[in-house]
Amino acid sequence: MLSTIRMTRGLQRVMLFTGFGIVAFFILLAILAPVVAPYGFNADRIGNVVFGTQIHPSGAHWFGTTVGGQDVLSRVVYGARTAVIVIVVAVIISIVIGVPIGLVSGYLGGPLDRVLVLIMDALYSFPSLLLAIVVSIIIGGGQSGFVTGILAAAISITVVFIPQYFRVVRNATVSVKVEPYVDAARVVGAGTPRILFKHILSNVAGTLPVIATLNASEAILTLAGLGFLGLGIEPSAAAEWGYDLNRALSDATNGIWWTGIFPGVAIVLMVLGVTLVGESLNDVLNPLLRTRAGGGSADEQEVAAEFEAAVGSDEVHEAVVVDDRDPKLVATLSLQDLTVRFDTDAGVVHAVNGVSFAADPGEVVAVVGESGSGKSVSTRSVLGLLPSTAHTTGSAKLRDRELLGLGSRALRPIRGDQISMIFQEPSTALNPVYTIGWQISEGIRAHRKISRKEARARAIELLDLVGIPEPQRRVDSYPHQLSGGQKQRVVIAMAIACEPDVIIADEPTTALDVTVQAAILELLLSLRDRLGTAIVLITHNMGVVADIADRVVVMYRGEVVEEAPVERLFADPQHPYTRRLLGAVPRLGAGNERPAADAKAEADKPITLIVDDLVVEFPGRIGQPPFRAVDRVGFEIRRGEVLGLVGESGSGKSTVGRTVVGLQKPTSGSVMVGGSEISELSEAQLRSHRGRFGFVFQDPAASLNPHLTVADCIAEPLYVQQVGSVAEQRNKVRSLLDRVQLPGAYANRYPHELSGGQRQRVSLARALALDPELLVADEPTSALDVSVQARVLELFAELQQELQFACLFISHDLAVVDSLADRVAVMQSGRLVEVGPRQQVLSDPQEEYTRQLIAAVPVPDPVEQHRRREARGKLLTDVS
Amino acid sequence: MATTELFVPPEPPATTAPRTRRGMPPLLRYMLVRIGLVIPMLWILLTLVFLLMRVIGDPISAALGGRMSPAKIAQAKAAAGLDKPLIVQYGQYLWNILHGDFGTTLTDHRAISNILVVNGAATLELSVYALVVAFLVGIPLGRIAARYRDRFPDVALRLFAILVYAAPVFFVGLLLKLAFAPLGWPVAGRASTATELTLQNVRPETHIMLIDAILWGDPKMILDVLQHAVLPAVALGLLTGGVFLRLVRVNLLQTLRMDYVMAARARGISERRVLGRHAFRNALVPVVTVMGMQIAMLMGGALLTETTFEWQGLGYTLGQYLLKRDFIAVQGIVTVFALIIGVVSVLIDFIVALVDPRVRF
Repeated sequence: MLSTIRMTRGLQRVMLFTGFGIVAFFILLAILAPVVAPYGFNADRIGNVVFGTQIHPSGAHWFGTTVGGQDVLSRVVYGARTAVIVIVVAVIISIVIGVPIGLVSGYLGGPLDRVLVLIMDALYSFPSLLLAIVVSIIIGGGQSGFVTGILAAAISITVVFIPQYFRVVRNATVSVKVEPYVDAARVVGAGTPRILFKHILSNVAGTLPVIATLNASEAILTLAGLGFLGLGIEPSAAAEWGYDLNRALSDATNGIWWTGIFPGVAIVLMVLGVTLVGESLNDVLNPLLRTRAGGGSADEQEVAAEFEAAVGSDEVHEAVVVDDRDPKLVATLSLQDLTVRFDTDAGVVHAVNGVSFAADPGEVVAVVGESGSGKSVSTRSVLGLLPSTAHTTGSAKLRDRELLGLGSRALRPIRGDQISMIFQEPSTALNPVYTIGWQISEGIRAHRKISRKEARARAIELLDLVGIPEPQRRVDSYPHQLSGGQKQRVVIAMAIACEPDVIIADEPTTALDVTVQAAILELLLSLRDRLGTAIVLITHNMGVVADIADRVVVMYRGEVVEEAPVERLFADPQHPYTRRLLGAVPRLGAGNERPAADAKAEADKPITLIVDDLVVEFPGRIGQPPFRAVDRVGFEIRRGEVLGLVGESGSGKSTVGRTVVGLQKPTSGSVMVGGSEISELSEAQLRSHRGRFGFVFQDPAASLNPHLTVADCIAEPLYVQQVGSVAEQRNKVRSLLDRVQLPGAYANRYPHELSGGQRQRVSLARALALDPELLVADEPTSALDVSVQARVLELFAELQQELQFACLFISHDLAVVDSLADRVAVMQSGRLVEVGPRQQVLSDPQEEYTRQLIAAVPVPDPVEQHRRREARGKLLTDVS
Repeated sequence: MATTELFVPPEPPATTAPRTRRGMPPLLRYMLVRIGLVIPMLWILLTLVFLLMRVIGDPISAALGGRMSPAKIAQAKAAAGLDKPLIVQYGQYLWNILHGDFGTTLTDHRAISNILVVNGAATLELSVYALVVAFLVGIPLGRIAARYRDRFPDVALRLFAILVYAAPVFFVGLLLKLAFAPLGWPVAGRASTATELTLQNVRPETHIMLIDAILWGDPKMILDVLQHAVLPAVALGLLTGGVFLRLVRVNLLQTLRMDYVMAARARGISERRVLGRHAFRNALVPVVTVMGMQIAMLMGGALLTETTFEWQGLGYTLGQYLLKRDFIAVQGIVTVFALIIGVVSVLIDFIVALVDPRVRF
């Protein structure tokens, strides 16, 4: 709770404290009611002196008296007592019942879950007051005592709230249960109760205070509503504000205000207090509404640390700029000494510190860098697209026109018309509720005075230009009806709609598969040739740079460290950071420098994993055939061998990995680990086999439970499989941390305090905790920066050499697989296309698909890449 | 167009590519599925209503016990079929509902279906007025709050929304009565006695008083009906409007953070259009969905508003029968509420489908 308060600031804090203050006031009032209230709540006389009815507020009766002759102040005070007790009881009962049912229902799923959801949804959709009325009729009949009356009211309200807790907890459970860290716990054999309480409840529980407070305010209103309708607690048993309001209703038309105003204000105040607490908690805890979390800074430091460790931090490195541009040309876009700083809650962040570069007409300038280099921020500042917390200085010119400092009104004619942008994630850059034609036309009509019809014709023309098949039909499609590559083509069509002078492409192919990436890059180049547009390409992928850039700007920690023509940069990098970056990039073909494994010795090693005729199907929607994700796949892995499994998204490679470790049941076929068949084992039978395989997940941030320390994460497999005493487990954790080269002090940190690379080391340590025979790694480095990836891969290879586990290494990155695998298997749409020794598959592929896949990978060497492009051009034209 | 020069490699087919499914248009198909899903929900609700109402014992003894001889009560029970086994009664209950027969009240022998037509129309009228007020209050104010996030208008509007939520509708009603009764503004009922008598008894066309008054053609009457509607509509509309305001604000803020909003700005779309077209339309999807759930709240609020303003709708009538302990009437009216909710939730699904193409296809 304290930490939550610390997270608030300004207005939020005022709201939270006001709320707490009001709630505390009412709770005190409830406890001290007999002391505070001048009279009893039903007293209408002292001794024999009757108060009199409807008496105006006076010294004897501060709030006046009611139509029944009771003191209004006393009734209001005692009403607080009733309200507080009823609400506390109601909230507690509904949590105690609703939460466990929701948890179990959500986790187990199946028919029980479906029936419960139906019932709870039906109850939820019913007016809560009506439901409370029905229940109060049933249990409330003739309950005249204080305790029974209050219980009856509380239960009537509880029935309304159980479905709410059920829904929230169940839905949270359903979404948490597919989190990688829950899978990670299942892989090591954690049982259902442990998963429910240790992994799911701790993560679901965060939302409970919010719902509980919001429900409490609803409970007050429901109680008052019941009382108002005469269905609450018997008036003789307790004072209740809603009942008083009902009695005051007829007074209102006669100008008697005090009987109604005071209980009414009491209700409003109490609901207000509770709601303020709930609202501010919700605001604080809802990550979607947070202004800016400092996320990513650990990754930036890690990149810096990698670099400094390699070259020594005290050397001073001047930026190296090789400028071969024609001095007579006026650059289309030029940045000069650009700085950007953000004023965040955590202090001032200097994101860009004096960046200068320029792009000429028809030139592709690549801006490369890792996390925190400031490459996206500096280009976005050109169009004024940074949040209001950003402050820019320096200069950004479109030809000779200064752009920095222009307001959005002045920038609007430039945006999209003279400078346009392409974004990383095409599926979020397109508005889901409008057709692509509508969105393209809108952009054109923002800059050109043309009719709707002409704009539409132009949109079709553009779609045709970017290679969308059947543009006349597709123009009316919604974004979700297109594939990822098609969506990016649409985004490009929008970017070129007004034939801009500059296109800023921010990681335009990062979200795409390699073959699609090749096509999109080709498209960008052809548009450049046709329109003479200058392209600023922001990317972290050196292969893409080598493929299409003319000039390269390397950024590091908000500064340009090197700028040079592309051939020169790759052939002769000057700045140590550039050298380091290029050195870390895995390149296809580099594996050939490693000695090939001795085939004969390999064949003698025992087989660890046999996958035979594996089929995995997922049920389709009603009336649709099931979807076959894995189609008759078979392979084997020997001890000490790394099999690289490659394929594009949707090829089924991850499903194979999940099936191998028993996270997914196969439809048919067999999986044998170390001689025992595991595909037919139940979850419980599988548990004793769990120690034999480890699993490293793709996203290190998601595969570690945020509520467990690093030590607890690593120790979980040992604890679950009951290996050794607590002290032995602690020693093992220490030695594992040592193995993955993390300092022992990290044991007590939480995952969010670690950088991406460190988290992946923790995942690796956890996967190795039980000395597995088989390690399955699913894209373990794809979320990491290049230099960090290089270190993690190095570590991975060392550990594998040392421990000699069999490894299934799943990746979309052929270069990574090339650097690590002994054999390579290629998957396409669920089928195994080709499998064989690394050198043979990657250098001399037999299958057409493998050939296309390899041809599409850009290698980080401009000369080599240009040669490959020529060769590929022919190969891929043959295909299409 | 020389697309042939362009490099067009094979791309994996879009998994969600528009399928040319023969037969039904997708929207119709979607609506049929939604209607199919409402049926089990209704069945569960009706079963719950039936079971809950039977737990209290038989309604006839509850209503008439002590006022009739045991023999007469037994006779009345047999006449109502209450002496049969529970399962038979349950079957009869569902069968009757399927035929539009919701039973007859015990105390004044009114057909529940008549209550649905007469008083249901009054509730419908009130709900529509309240929704109009709620939209007028909630949507523009929600947009303003989102636009000035964390600045003065936002803070003031959020406080307003919380206050409106915190004030029970009957307290707001009471305040309105206190303020308007001295001015001679009508504070109870749907119309003055004369108007009401004319419209309800002489020529009730639709039972929706405003329409009836217009059909009657007397401007004074129309004004009278409208005057009576103002206070209840404001009381109930403010309650719902506060919820709409918060919904619109939160969802707008979330959509304003989306990439497509930045992408639209980067294309040079005007800020007005970015807010109005790109962010708002997307924010509407969750807003409409949650509004659908809020209909239940509106119904609960209508119950209280009607009691406060003696507006003779379903809720007011329910309250009257509750006081008379006529549980057959209560069961009938609650059943009617359940059916209304079923119909409304299908309507909401339809609106969601209109707003969000992802649902449609």
